[in-house]
Formats: sequence, C-alpha cells, structure tokens
Amino acid sequence: MTGRARAITAGLAALLVAAACTGAAPAGGPTTTATAEPQAELAAVQELTVAAGRDDYRTDGKRNLTGMFPLNANIYETLVTLSPTYQVEPGLATKWEFRAPNTYRFTLRSGVKFHDGTPLTAKDVKAVMDRVATAGGGTVGVDDKSAVVVDDLTVDITPKRTNLRALQQLVHPSWGIHKAGADVVAKPVGTGPFRFVSYTKGERIVVERNEDYWGAKPTLQKITFRFIPDPNTRVLALQAGEVQVAVEVPRESAKTVAAGDLRLVTSKPGAYEAIYVNIRGSGDYAIGKDKAVREAIAYAIDKKAVVENVWQNNAEISQTMIPPGILGDAASTVKGTARSVDRAKKLLDDAGWKAGADGVRAKDGKRLTLEMIVGYPTPEIHKPLPEFAQAQLKEVGIDLKIVTTPDTASYEKRLASGAQGHLWVEAGSQNDGNPCFLPELLFTSPVPGGDDEQNMYGNAFALGAKFDDAAKKCREATGVADVQKAAADMMKVLIDEEFVVIPLAGTFRLYGASSKVLDLVAHPAGVHQRWDKVRIRK
Amino acid sequence: MAAYVARRVLSLVPVWVGISVLAFALSVLAPGDPVRQALQQSGIDAPSPEQVAEMRRELGLDAPPPVRYARWVGDALTGDLGRSIRTGEPVLGALAERFPRTATLALVAVVLGLAIALPLGVVSAVLRNSALDHVARLGALVGASIPSFWLAYLLIIAFAVQLKVLPVAGSTTPQHLVLPALTLAIGAAASLTRLTRSAMLEELSQEYVRTGRAKGLRERAVVVRHALRNALIAIATVTGIRLAALLGGAVIVETIFAWPGIGKFVVDSIGARDYPVIQGFVLFAGTVVLAINLAVDLAYVWLDPRVRLGGRARGN
Repeated sequence: MTGRARAITAGLAALLVAAACTGAAPAGGPTTTATAEPQAELAAVQELTVAAGRDDYRTDGKRNLTGMFPLNANIYETLVTLSPTYQVEPGLATKWEFRAPNTYRFTLRSGVKFHDGTPLTAKDVKAVMDRVATAGGGTVGVDDKSAVVVDDLTVDITPKRTNLRALQQLVHPSWGIHKAGADVVAKPVGTGPFRFVSYTKGERIVVERNEDYWGAKPTLQKITFRFIPDPNTRVLALQAGEVQVAVEVPRESAKTVAAGDLRLVTSKPGAYEAIYVNIRGSGDYAIGKDKAVREAIAYAIDKKAVVENVWQNNAEISQTMIPPGILGDAASTVKGTARSVDRAKKLLDDAGWKAGADGVRAKDGKRLTLEMIVGYPTPEIHKPLPEFAQAQLKEVGIDLKIVTTPDTASYEKRLASGAQGHLWVEAGSQNDGNPCFLPELLFTSPVPGGDDEQNMYGNAFALGAKFDDAAKKCREATGVADVQKAAADMMKVLIDEEFVVIPLAGTFRLYGASSKVLDLVAHPAGVHQRWDKVRIRK
Repeated sequence: MAAYVARRVLSLVPVWVGISVLAFALSVLAPGDPVRQALQQSGIDAPSPEQVAEMRRELGLDAPPPVRYARWVGDALTGDLGRSIRTGEPVLGALAERFPRTATLALVAVVLGLAIALPLGVVSAVLRNSALDHVARLGALVGASIPSFWLAYLLIIAFAVQLKVLPVAGSTTPQHLVLPALTLAIGAAASLTRLTRSAMLEELSQEYVRTGRAKGLRERAVVVRHALRNALIAIATVTGIRLAALLGGAVIVETIFAWPGIGKFVVDSIGARDYPVIQGFVLFAGTVVLAINLAVDLAYVWLDPRVRLGGRARGN
C-alpha cells in the first residue's frame, strides 16, 4: 500500500461506509476464511474479475515472469507446492527423494499435458532449470548442469552449491514449469488449471479454464485480473460491482468490506510485524547490548493491544517471527512474551536503570532514550505502531524517539551506515517453505566479502557463534521435522533467550469478495493463491 | 521568424545538457541498490554476491559514473535510453508506449479546464462583484483547495459506486477517461478561472478598452477580440506550465484510476530504484517541458507581435 493511500484511508472511511451501506445491511457482516456453499445454485456464466494490485511482471525474455509472479494467474504449476499451512506438498511431482549429498530426485505426475496438448516430461523441467540458470540461477542456485533427465518422468536437480533447502524453495511460483521452447513472453504455456488468453501491460491479464486439466477441472470459465494499484480504488471497484474480488484490502477498510453484499475473506498469518533490537551498536547506539533493556522492551509492549488497535484485529498475536505454521509442532517451543509492566520495570531497576524526575530512566548519567527506525518496507504500513510503542515504553521509563525513513532504500542506507538506530520495525512475508531463510539472512554473523544484505543486518543484529550454529543445523537438516525443530531453535535464541527479535503480530491477507463468490480460500502467501476452486452463484 | 525560432532552439541546448547531468547525478546519489531490488522482484529474495555481480555487469553498473554518463548520453542521442531494471522493457519504448495515455489525459483535462475557466473568468470579470462573480470565485477557491486524490474518490463514489454511470478505473473505453480528466480539469479550471478573471480585469481597465468603447465597438468585440486576446498571454503561460506538469505524469490521478500512463510507471520505478527509467524519464520530461516552453514562446509571438520585434531589436 502506498504511503499516500494509507494516509487517506482513514479519512475516507466515512464515505466508503456510506457508499457500502446504501440499500444494504448494516456493517459487521461475515468475515470468513472459506465460503463453501455446495447447495448454492451457480450462475450460468462463470467469469470472475479480480482487482489485483500493481502490474509487477517482468516481461523481458530472460527473466520473464508473466502470469507467474508476483501475481499468480494459475497458468503454471511447480514441482512441489506450498500448502496454506506452509507444508511442502506434491505438485507436478508426485514424490521426491533426497539423494546425498546435494540432489533431489523428482518423479513427475504422469498424464499431465501442457496447454498446447503436449505431455509434460522431465525435459521440460530441465529446460526451465536451464533458463533460470541463464538468469543467475534463482534462489535454489542452479546452473546448466543442475538438472539431469533420468527418464521421461524422473529428473534430478542438484544446486551448484550445497543447498538442502532447495525442496522448500522450489514451491515458489517463480519456479513454475513451462513448455520447453515456448515463447514465455508472447504465449505462456503451462500445465495449470487456467490457460493464458491475453496480457495488456499495466491493465489486465486474462486466463480461461484449461479443459484438459489433470486435476479437478475449475468451475470458473474465465478470470480477468485487472491491475488496480490503489487499494482504495480496488475496494471502490468491488463496491461498484466492477470486480467480484479485490486483493490486499487495506485493514482500515476491512469492516466496510465485511458489510452488506460484500464479505471479507482472510487467511491465516503469512506475514509478520516485528521489532529487531540493535545489539552491535556503538556510541549512542550501544544501549541495545544491555540484555535487560531488550527484555524489558519485550515485556513492555502489549501485543494484544497492537493486534486490536494497530491491526484492527486483522492479525493475531505472534510469538514467532515468521508464521508459526511453517514451524509445525515445533512452533509451540517458542514461548515469546506477554505484557508485564511490573516485570519490565524490575528488569530495568535490577540492571541499574533508575527513573529520573521526568520518569525517564538513566544509568551512569545516560538517559534511556531509544530511536525506533520505521520504514521497511514503507513507514505507512506500520502506522500507528510507533506511537503506540512510544506510549507503552514510556510507562516503564523508556523514552522512544521515532525516526521515519521514506522507503526501503533509505531505511537500508541507515542500517548499512553503522546501524544508526536502536529499534528497527519491519514487516515481512513468508513466500516459500524454507523456515531457515529469514532468520539466517537477518541474524547470522557478517562474513567479509559475503552477501551485502546479510552483512548489513548481521552488523546490527548478529548474535554470534551460538546462533550461527543453529542456522547451520537448520541449513543442513534433511527431514521435515528436523528442519522445523532447527528453525524453532533459532527462534528460541532470538526471541526467548536474547530478546533480539520482538515479534508483534502475524498478519492476515485480506480479500474483499462479492457474496456471490464461493469457495475463495485465502492462502497466507498471496503468490500461492489458487483460483481453481472458486465458483460464482446466481 | 525562422531566426527567432532557431535562436530559441539553440538556447535550449545547454539547458538540455544540464537536465541530463542532473538526471544522471540524482540517480547516482540516491540511496538503494537497483540490482538487488530487481533480483528480489524476480523472486530471488536473497541473491548471492555472484548473482548481484553478474547482473551489475550485465547492466553496465560496474563502470565508474563518468563513464556511465558518457555512455548513457551517447546512447540517448541515438534514441536508446537503456532497459528498465525492474520490468526489462526498453526505457524509450516503455515511455513512448505510456506517453500517449498521459498526453490524452493531460490534453483532455487542460482543454476541459480551459472550456470551464475562460468563459467563467471572462464573465466573472465583466460582471465584477455580481452574484455570478461571487459564485465563480467561490467555486474557483473550492476547486483549487480540494486535493486531487480526495476529489478523485468523491467522483468515483458519486458517479461509479452510487450512480453507476461511469467506470471506477481502467482505460479500455472512452468512458474510462471521464473521471480522471474531470479530476484534473477541475483543479486546472479553478486556477485558470482566477487567472482569467484577474487578467481580464487588468485589461478591461486599460486605455485601449476605453478607446474601443468610445469608437463605438460592440462590447462583445471589446471584451473578446481586444481584452481577452491580451489577457491570453498570461493564460497561455500558466496553461503551458500546467500542461507540461500533467505531461510529466499526473501520478496520483493515474494511480487512483489505474490509468496506465507515464506518471504511475515512473513512480513505481523510483520505488524500485530503476535508474535507467528515472534518468530516461527526467530527460524525456525535461525535453517535453522545453518543447512546450518553446511552443508557448511562439504563441506569445502570435498573441503579441511586439515579442518578436523585441527579439529582432536585441539581435541587431
């Protein structure tokens, strides 16, 4: 959501409500995660128009992602898929096998045909891997030798560097399998439930039902995704009946959308909001090295109030940084914190931070004043969290200054320039099945000559050898449960032991839909959204 | 006249070079790494140093800034503004593809604005302090004060959500043009009405107007053929500035109405630190502004031949 759009949303609320309520039921309609109505009489014409966000497709031949990512038009399918609970499930591959030291062998589903009628074979998978190799190798890190055709329906994939998380990464829609040799720019050919019809840059992409789909054939005959970048306009288009579904509804408009003939469809948490504490700062930014201060902050912030007031109940309290679903049963081992002002005060008292005349604590002549940096990915998305945190930290004697950076680039520049700030607020999304990725990227020790982004974060937040070991275990685990446990162990160090990460909320994905739209189930990660079960009633 | 035009064109060359230096310098000095953002947009959340280095080489971003500037300007003069890092499109093609949409919106908005402002401003001046004058001034004040995004949403709610007579957003039919053009036109009309009124009041107080009336010219001729023509110099200047600004992209209105014009494209590119697009756009928009200024200067000559004579006198 753009900054301007976020800013005007609150001001528009009354008008939007007025528009929504004309001749309709009062606000407060159903909010749902699924809308199964098997007995409903279906409309004769099953054509859906969706208000999607900005057109962010790359359209050059080498890295073309039209219909694939970030808007997944369900033209392509991946070898493995990501379930709404963040588990890896069969896709075009029915089974897979890890072959030490660094290879995954995939067995392809038989009888799958591309939209042009030709059968899917291992050669097509290899062609995709080879194409990604020419564009740098993707997240998995493939080169032109990575994919080896074993037989028509078996393919081995060996990343060019050791990468045991390749399986979890291959669920990402950017690894969608297209027909070998197809012109992916002009005529995308995949195996998905919908086939490409047309794409008009900045305006729309249209797909139609794949009559020969290998799975359950979709009820929808056609979907038109219209690119409408402004979230308020998407809601208005939904209210006007121009579209039947609007993606990424702003949380301020959620109640309006849930009213009358419309409904709000929400996902489980797929994104998060968290505070990271700078533990490697120097000079004025060294306060975060004091563990008592970090722990006190974690106990001072009321996550329940954040969910209710900042996220307007379109989120749930989070004790893990990434969505808990990806950690499976191991998620419960991460305890997190619940608000306790008394405990926070005691921690600070015991650490020698004494309250001054104005209520702000000080130690050795240094006031407990912290800077909170707000700007990733935009400052607006966090509003009014900073002011909220400011008030809550004041109660325990911490003076919080809010520093807003206009965008990600400015935020990262500040982070890279000596990590100028104590608390860093970020929102992130989990788009693949790799639970090790984000904690490893953000909190492992910097490596000379290593990845710039990893080092930028490591210079502010890295915990050292203990966490690096945990990250290594996560990276090298093979079984699903082992990976989840290793990732949970990383979370425990970050959240329960060192208080470097203070998770606040696991946020929902919000779709607005006409009440005639049935069986729209919101995936926590929008890039994995499926449309093949959706139906339209009369 | 030809010499006057040639002189004006030549005077624009150093300005154009200045714009190119500025465009390039701004992009170099801005924070952020376009390569990393582009890779992340390709679905690579954590690109490896090798991937970053390869793409940097591919885009020529590994060369020092002066070398990149020389290459860029050289290519620009041959019509090659590079490729968008974000979308992979050729920049000139991307701008050229979107510019007609923006130009259509801008021209319709300005014409519509003038169609409202000229008669209203003239009548308001002629009937100074009448009820109509007060209403026109109030309307102009309100029109100039309403933020365009607010007006846009109001128009959508009124005409698309409530009355359902116009579409909310998009660009596929002529009807899609109405609301965004009206949004921009109301803002333009407001300021142009005020300007027309004040310019007309000034002209109507001139001696030549009194002379015209004394000679027995009809009031309509005095107002339209004499006073208005002279008032048009100021109006043309402001109209040119406003048109140039709109041709640079009416970002907010284009975004709200999902109008796939140049403004929305460039704002998205700024967010992604898409240097080639930002540089190309600044150069492109700068060139458009220079061209419009030239056109306005030439309009002055038509409206007031003394401008050209003055130029000759200076040339002698």
